[in-house]
Order: sequence, then C-alpha cells, then structure tokens
Amino acid sequence: MINCPEFRSAFQPGTEDADVLAHLRACDRCLDHAAHVDPDVMFRALGTGEMIPPGGIDAFVEDVMRGVQIRTADTVVSRRVLSWPRRLAVAATIAAGFTGATLFMTHQQPAPAGTPVAALASHHTAVRALSTKPVVENYSSSNATIVEVPNEGASEAQVVLVVDDTLPADL
Amino acid sequence: MVPTTQAEPDDRELVQTIRGGDSLAFEQLVRRKTSKVYALCYRIIGNAEDAKDISQLVFIKLWENLEKYDPAYAFDTWLYRMVTNVAIDFMRNKQSRDNAVNSTLRLVKTEAAAEQAVVVQRKEIENVFNEISSVLSPKQKTIFVMNQMDDMPSSEIAKILGCRESTVRNHLFNARKLMQTQLQKRYPEYARLWRAQ
Repeated sequence: MINCPEFRSAFQPGTEDADVLAHLRACDRCLDHAAHVDPDVMFRALGTGEMIPPGGIDAFVEDVMRGVQIRTADTVVSRRVLSWPRRLAVAATIAAGFTGATLFMTHQQPAPAGTPVAALASHHTAVRALSTKPVVENYSSSNATIVEVPNEGASEAQVVLVVDDTLPADL
Repeated sequence: MVPTTQAEPDDRELVQTIRGGDSLAFEQLVRRKTSKVYALCYRIIGNAEDAKDISQLVFIKLWENLEKYDPAYAFDTWLYRMVTNVAIDFMRNKQSRDNAVNSTLRLVKTEAAAEQAVVVQRKEIENVFNEISSVLSPKQKTIFVMNQMDDMPSSEIAKILGCRESTVRNHLFNARKLMQTQLQKRYPEYARLWRAQ
C-alpha cells in the first residue's frame, strides 16, 4: 500500500486508482485532506472491503454451517416422509377417510325412492292426493316462515304451517 | 522430499467440489467470501447485527441454490446478485416498518452550522451516510453502495441486478440528488463539501 506522502502527491479528483482509493479507505489522516481536494470521495472513503461481522469470522462460519445442517436435516426428513411406504400409508388413510365419509353421508340421507318405476308411482300418488284438495288461494311472500310439524306415523297427515306477519289478520 | 505447495482452488473449482457433496469446501467458500458479503450488507443495511443475519441468510441460500449456478458466469456476479436480492428485500420490509419513525428524525441545522469548517472523520461520514441514505429506495442505495464504495462500474452492477446500464446510471443520479437535498437539510456543513453531479 502507498504511504501518506505518496497518496497526497498522487491523489487527483475523480481518481479511480485502486492503490490511492485503498489508502484513502485505510488512512484517517489523509481522508480530511482528500475530502477537501475532491469532496466526491467523502462517501467513497467508506468502502466495503474487509469487514469482520460481530463475533468474528469463525463464529459467523460456524453459524452458517449450523444453519446449513439444519436445512439439510429438514430436507432429509421431508424426503423420508415422501418415501413410498409412507406415501402408500397416507394415500390409504385418505382413501379410507373418504370412503367412510361417503358411507356416512349415504346412510344419513333419506332412503331413495328406489327404482324409477317406484319413483314414478309415488309421484302419481302425490298428484292424486293433491287433486282431492283444491287450492284455495295462491299468494307469494318473501317474509313467510314455513313450519313443518313432524308426523309420528306413516298414516298421520303431514302438518305444515305457513306463518306470515305481513298478511292481513282476517285472511 | 520436496514439499509441494497446493494452490488454493478458485471459486468455480470450489463450487464443483461442493456439488460433489463436500461440506468442508462450502465452509472454505463461506470463509473466503464472508468479509466481502458482510461489508456489502453492512453498507446497504447500515446495522451490524442485521447485516450479519442477512449475510448468513445469503450463504444458506447460496447452499440451497448452488445447483443453479452456471459456471459460465463469474461466481462473484452470481453471489452479489443473491446478496443484493436478499438485502433489498430486507430493506423494503424494514422501510415499511420504519417509515413512521423516520418521519420524526428530521434534524435541521442552523445557518451558522453550515459555515463551520468541517474536519472530515470516517465515523462521522458513516453516521451522515446512514442517516441521509435512509431516504433512498433500497435499490438506489444498493446501487450507490456498489458504485461508490465498492468501485463497481455501472456495467457490472447492471449484470448483477439484471437491468440495463442506463437504469443503473439513472438510479445513481437520482440517489445523489436525493442525498444532496438531505445533506442540505440535515448537515449543511457537509453539503458545501459534497455535491450532486
């Protein structure tokens, strides 16, 4: 590295000379001189060369290597999870769960009408039942509440209440 | 028996060895690059502890992405790209957190202070830089640091950041202008010294 007298004689505004800049970044005595000759070197004098992180290089490298080991271990674990027996086990669990849920849902739903012929027959019965009770009046409302009273036996009539506060009381 | 001196492997050779599964080679690479990576992070971030954390993160990312490195390109360019990406991301998050705080730190010096003769001291310049550069965007600050403090030409910075050289020069120009304005407001005695170009 050049010395102070060499620096002061070699220093020119706008210099790109690596030796001159290296001296500028290392020597506090020459910094003030250089900054008054060429103010533009003020921030250049800070430089980015050779800085030691807090705790020293060894501790820093140790931390990095520990971080790398942890990441590597994570990767190994995640790879192990993806090995074929585990994949098979996960797939079997999901399939069993899905099948169970489907069976449960099917069991909870009311029994289907059966064959299309049976469905058609029940539809005909409903039409026949309605035809014996003529419609008294039609009306539409967005405020009506429909209450369905559960019937206890198959022979009992289904009771349905339609409650609508907006309807006139004498209807 | 004549002792043989084995030359240190260069960066590309080290990367090849690391790819072969040699973690000691990686440790050697980290040791070789630590001071440079840390210095760049420190200048961009302006805080020793944060710079240390970010530098470590850079090396861990380097380990994870080493397979993506193309030896046809300079290793340092690739490494610096990683450094700038991580540091810029960190600064963006930090700036959004610190915006409210910074708004209360506007110190204005008197005219008399501006007339005082300045003895330029390194530590003081460092403080001045950290304070006035807080108005720069993370990218502007990164470019300013690489160009002014790391003596990198704008063509090299453009390669690292993956942008055009004219964009780099534009960022540099704007960074200097913004910093000059801040110097005039906060450190008028230095503003007389340092000028925007």
